[in-house]
Amino acid sequence: MLNYLDILDRAQTGPYISEENWDLEKIAMTTRRLVKKYKLEWNPNELVTDDAALSEAIWKAGYEMAVELGSYSRSTERIIQLSQDEIDSGIRNMPQEVVMGEGKDARTLYARHLNDERAPLFFGGSPGTPIPEKIFLANVISYMQEPLIDLATCGTLVEVDGREVRTGNPIEIVSTRRELQYMRQGLKRVGRAGMGMLAAQSSVSELGDLAAAHPDYLRSCDSHLVPMLNELKMDHRNISRAVNSLEYGMVNASLPCVIVGGLGGGPAGSAVINVASYLIANITCLADYHILHPIHVRHVATSTRDVLWVINATGQAFARHAPTIIVADIYPKSGAGTKELLYETAANAIVNAVSGNHLEGCGAADGNAPNCSGLEARLMAEVALASHRMKMSMKEANDFVLQLLPKYEHVFTQDGNPGKPFNEVYDTVKIEPLDFWQKMYEEVKTELKEMGLKL
Amino acid sequence: MPESTHLQAIATAIIDGEAEDAMEATKAALEDNVDPMEILNRGLMDAADEVGKRFERSEYFLPELMLTGRALKGAMEIVKPVLLEKYADNDSQVKGKVVSATVHTDIHDIGKNIVSSMLTAAGFEVTDMGVDVPIKSIIDKAEEIEARVICLSALLTTSMPFMKDLIQLLDARGIRQKYIVLVGGASVTESWAMHIGADGTARNAADAVKLARAKIGA
Ligand code: B12
Repeated sequence: MLNYLDILDRAQTGPYISEENWDLEKIAMTTRRLVKKYKLEWNPNELVTDDAALSEAIWKAGYEMAVELGSYSRSTERIIQLSQDEIDSGIRNMPQEVVMGEGKDARTLYARHLNDERAPLFFGGSPGTPIPEKIFLANVISYMQEPLIDLATCGTLVEVDGREVRTGNPIEIVSTRRELQYMRQGLKRVGRAGMGMLAAQSSVSELGDLAAAHPDYLRSCDSHLVPMLNELKMDHRNISRAVNSLEYGMVNASLPCVIVGGLGGGPAGSAVINVASYLIANITCLADYHILHPIHVRHVATSTRDVLWVINATGQAFARHAPTIIVADIYPKSGAGTKELLYETAANAIVNAVSGNHLEGCGAADGNAPNCSGLEARLMAEVALASHRMKMSMKEANDFVLQLLPKYEHVFTQDGNPGKPFNEVYDTVKIEPLDFWQKMYEEVKTELKEMGLKL
Repeated sequence: MPESTHLQAIATAIIDGEAEDAMEATKAALEDNVDPMEILNRGLMDAADEVGKRFERSEYFLPELMLTGRALKGAMEIVKPVLLEKYADNDSQVKGKVVSATVHTDIHDIGKNIVSSMLTAAGFEVTDMGVDVPIKSIIDKAEEIEARVICLSALLTTSMPFMKDLIQLLDARGIRQKYIVLVGGASVTESWAMHIGADGTARNAADAVKLARAKIGA
C-alpha cells in the first residue's frame, strides 16, 4: 500500500496547473465527456431507481474519472497523481467493518450491500451547526438519550465563556476541547459512556483536531472529519488532519460535499464526481468510511429532488459494485418545530435506507442555526428502520418519496423555513420535546402510517 | 455585416462561453465601426444577463458561468481601450474594480465564486483572491489595484469576525471611506452586516450584483 507520506511528496512535485484550469479543464470537461460517453441522465420522477445498467454506468464513469484525474493540492497548485493500481488497491482495502466506541456501547459500522439483512446504524446530532454554549450539553443529550441512536455527533461551539471563537486563533483549541468535554459528559449522563463519536466539529482548521487527539477528548475509537475540497481537491490543512490520525489511530471520515449544479453540472455529473471523490478519498483522506453529503447549489438541503437522486445513485453504485461504509448526512432545509422538517427527514431516511447507506442527522435548517433537536433524529431512525423491516423495494421507496415531496417542496421557493431554536422546542432541563413539537411529530407519524409505512 | 449581426455573434459567443469566438466577434465588430458602447451594453452585458438568468433557472451550472466569465474577460480586453478612448469622460460604464475573497481560515468558496462570476458578468473587473485570505492581504490588494468594492465571503460563524477586523483595520488606516465593503455567506445577516459597519449584504449572487450596482451608482 501507498505510504501516506508519498502523498505529501506528490503534492509537492506533481505537475502544476492553476486552480481555475483544474476546475474547468479537468473537472468540468471530464465530467461532461463522461456523462455523454455513458449516456447518463436523471429522471426527476424516478429519484430512487432500480436501473442496474444506469448504476453500473455511473460506477464506471466515476472510476474512470478517479483514474484519469487523481487529486489536486490547492496549497501547492499541483496535481497529486494516482495510478490505476493505486486506485484499485484503495478499493480493495476499503474497510468492510469498523468498530466505533467501546465496551457495551461499541457498534460495528459495516459496508452495506443492497437488500442487506442488517439494519443501518444512526449517528445523532446536528453536525457542525453553531450551537450556543449554554444549550450545547442539553442539545447533545437530546440525541444521545434516544434508544435508536447508535453513535453521537454534535454542532460547533462558536463561543466559550462568552468569548467569540475565531478559527485558527488559540481559542479554537479551547472550543474543540470544551466541545469534547460536553460530549463525554453527555454520554456519561445518559449511561452510554462508551458510545462512539464523530466529533471535534469545532475544529475548523487543523488546530482543534490536533488538540483533541487525546484519550480524554477524542479517543482512538472515535472519528473525525477529513474534508475534501470541491472537487477532488485537498490542501495542507486537511492533509494534516489525515496525518494526525496516523499513529494515534482515529477513525477517518472523508467529507466530500459534491455541489449539485456546481462544476459537475446536473445530478448525473455530480453523481460521477461523488463516486470519484470516494475513490480518491480512500487514499488522500485515508478514509475508514465516507460521508455522503451532496448539496444543492442554491438550496443546500439534501432533500431536493436532484440531491436525493445523487444520494441514491452514489450509494447504489458502491453497494452494487464495491461496498464501502457510507454515512449519509441528512440536511433538511427546514428547522425544528416545523412539520416540513419531519417530511424532509422521512424522505431522506427512506432513500438512504434502500441505497446502502447509514444515516447521520439531522442538520436541520441547513445546519446553520441551533434549530435542531433529538426528536427529528428519532424519526429519521424510525423511518429508516421501518423501510428496512419492510424490505422496501426501490420502486416502493420512490413512490413514498414522490408522495412526500409535495408536502415540503414549497420551502425551496420561499426564504427558508428555519423553525425555532432547540430551547424553544425542548424543555432544556427535563430534555423532553415541548407539547406542540411532540404533537407535530405524532401527527406526521400518523400520516406516514396512513401512507403505508410500517412504523 | 449589419450591426445587429455583429452583436448577435458576440452575444452567442458569450452565452456559449466561447472565449476565442467572443474575442474574434468583438474585433470584427470594432473593425466594422460598431459603437463600442453598443458592443458593451447590447452584445456583452445583455448576453451575460441572459447567462445569469439561465443559472437562476438551473438551465446553466457553475462551469457555464465560469466559461462566460472567461469569454467576457477576453472580449472586454479588446473593447475596453476603444471604449475609454471614445468615452474618455464617461468611464463609469466600465463599472469599477472589485476585490473578492473568502476570509482568513475559511475555505468555503462556492458562493464566493458564483458572486465573482456574476459580478464579472455584470461588467465589474473582479480580482478574486481565492480562499483563506488574511485581511491584510485583501486590503493591500484593494489599495494596489485601486478597487472600489471589497467583497468578503465567510460561511463559518468563527471566520465571520475577520470581516469585522477588516473593517476596523480600514478604519484604523484611515481609508474606510475609499471602499464599499460588501459581506456575505450563509450565516451573514443584514443586522450583523450593519452591526460590523459593512455597506451591505445579499442572500444570493443576483442580489449581490444589484447591491453592488446600487452602491456604486452604476
Ligand atoms: C459545501 C460545504 C463545505 C465544503 C466546502 C467546499 C468549498 N469548496 O466551498 C467542505 C466539505 C470543504 C466544508 C468544510 C467545512 N465546513 Co462546511 N459547509 C458546506 C455547506 C454544506 C454548503 C456551502 C455552500 O457551498 N453553499 C452553496 C453556496 C452557493 O451558497 P453560499 O456559500 O451561501 O453563497 C451564496 C450566498 O451566501 C451569497 N454570498 C456568498 N458570499 C458572498 C459574498 C458577498 C459579498 C455577498 C454580497 C453575497 C455572498 O451568494 C452566494 C450565491 O448565491 C454549508 C452548509 C450551509 N448551510 O451553507 C456547510 C457549513 C458552512 N460548513 C460548516 C462547517 C462546520 C465546516 C467544517 C468546519 C467542518 C469540519 N469540522 O471540518 C469545514 C471547514 C473548513 C474550513 N476551514 O473552512 C458549517 C458552518 C457552521 C457555522 N456557521 O460556523 C456549515 C453551515 C454546515 C454545518 N453545519 O456543518 N464545508
